[in-house]
Amino acid sequence: MRPILLSGHERALTQVKYNRDGDLIFSTAKDQHICAWYAHNGERLGTYHGHVGAIWSVDVDPTCTLLASGSADNTLRLWEVETGKLLHTWEFPTAVKRVEFSFDGSKVLGVTEKRMGHLGSIVVFDVDLDPKAEQTDERSLTIICDESKATVAGWSYLSKYIIAGHEDGSVSQYDAKTGDLLDNVPVHELNQPITDLQWDSDRYTFITASKDKTAKLISARNLDVLKTYPSDTPLNSAAITPNKDFVILGGGQAAMDVTTTAARQGKFEARFYHKIFEEEVGRVRGHFGPLNTIASDPTGKGYCSGGEDGYVRVHHFDAGYFNFYYEVERERMNKLAAEGASKK
Amino acid sequence: EDAERGASADLAVVEARRRMLEEYVSFRESMDEDAEEEKLELGLPDDIVAELLAAKQLPTNEDDEQVIE
Repeated sequence: MRPILLSGHERALTQVKYNRDGDLIFSTAKDQHICAWYAHNGERLGTYHGHVGAIWSVDVDPTCTLLASGSADNTLRLWEVETGKLLHTWEFPTAVKRVEFSFDGSKVLGVTEKRMGHLGSIVVFDVDLDPKAEQTDERSLTIICDESKATVAGWSYLSKYIIAGHEDGSVSQYDAKTGDLLDNVPVHELNQPITDLQWDSDRYTFITASKDKTAKLISARNLDVLKTYPSDTPLNSAAITPNKDFVILGGGQAAMDVTTTAARQGKFEARFYHKIFEEEVGRVRGHFGPLNTIASDPTGKGYCSGGEDGYVRVHHFDAGYFNFYYEVERERMNKLAAEGASKK
Repeated sequence: EDAERGASADLAVVEARRRMLEEYVSFRESMDEDAEEEKLELGLPDDIVAELLAAKQLPTNEDDEQVIE
């Protein structure tokens, strides 16, 4: 199926995110507004106005009631999804580069930027999912990143850990209750920043994308690197597909860094790898600039990407995708089916 | 002979994949066990999101329920 092109942003995309049902897509860009779209036809549902700086990050709670956003205007904001109403604003001394709700939507974290006189940090607030409720200004947790600033962060399974990816290429595991640093592992090349961190649907594992041109699948339990996906370009984003064992990588050399810009037009690609076998299985081209962000539909029906070119491209998978299996996968499926049949 | 060599190389690749798949499946299973155990320890509901969604869909029924009680 041909991709759907969403043109509502005037600047580079920074993050795209599906809601839990996979029927809505939220997008943020450097143009200061958040867009909401219907995933099936690309129709714009609405925009959320209020930020006065580039917006770096967006997330929606699991009940699709509240939206959180982080911006270069030094605020983390909560919005009502349905009405577009701004519900709460938390202010900081520096930009908010990343936001994420915990799995149950009871908390939201924000990653704040490092700047002269301010260390990077991860802040946590309790959230009341009732849009009419008064939200607290009190932080429930502050984690200071004094070694290397965090660029991305998220909540593990059962909200047990907060996992952060850092500018120096390492990942950290924090106790989500106390904020204690439990472990820090240099998973990517030294000083090659981690640009994205996304979860599988159980939040057992996460995938990191890095400027070192690789993505890694890592266990949230002990930060073991389970898989490595090598590419030939700096990566900005990586997503894990549900139901099928693939990962999708996106990136590309920024236009100002390459001399042959014209030749690359429309050729920036999303790369599909088999999650378990670490092999590249396909590419989808289309963007006119690096892919800044990729999201997997949580229901497994498709994915979308946001580019430096200002477009969001929504793809719905076709039969070829769903029918694609390695021989050993079929073998295992047949074995399980046979076992299931013999039990009956 | 070449064909034979090719076949044994293929066999090695397939064997490696089979092993990777087994490893990954057993990793997921051990995570499932761990998470299940911890969920019980923490007294967390089996599907918190389902409960949240149910609560969201029935916001006006709270008053009725209180009357019944």
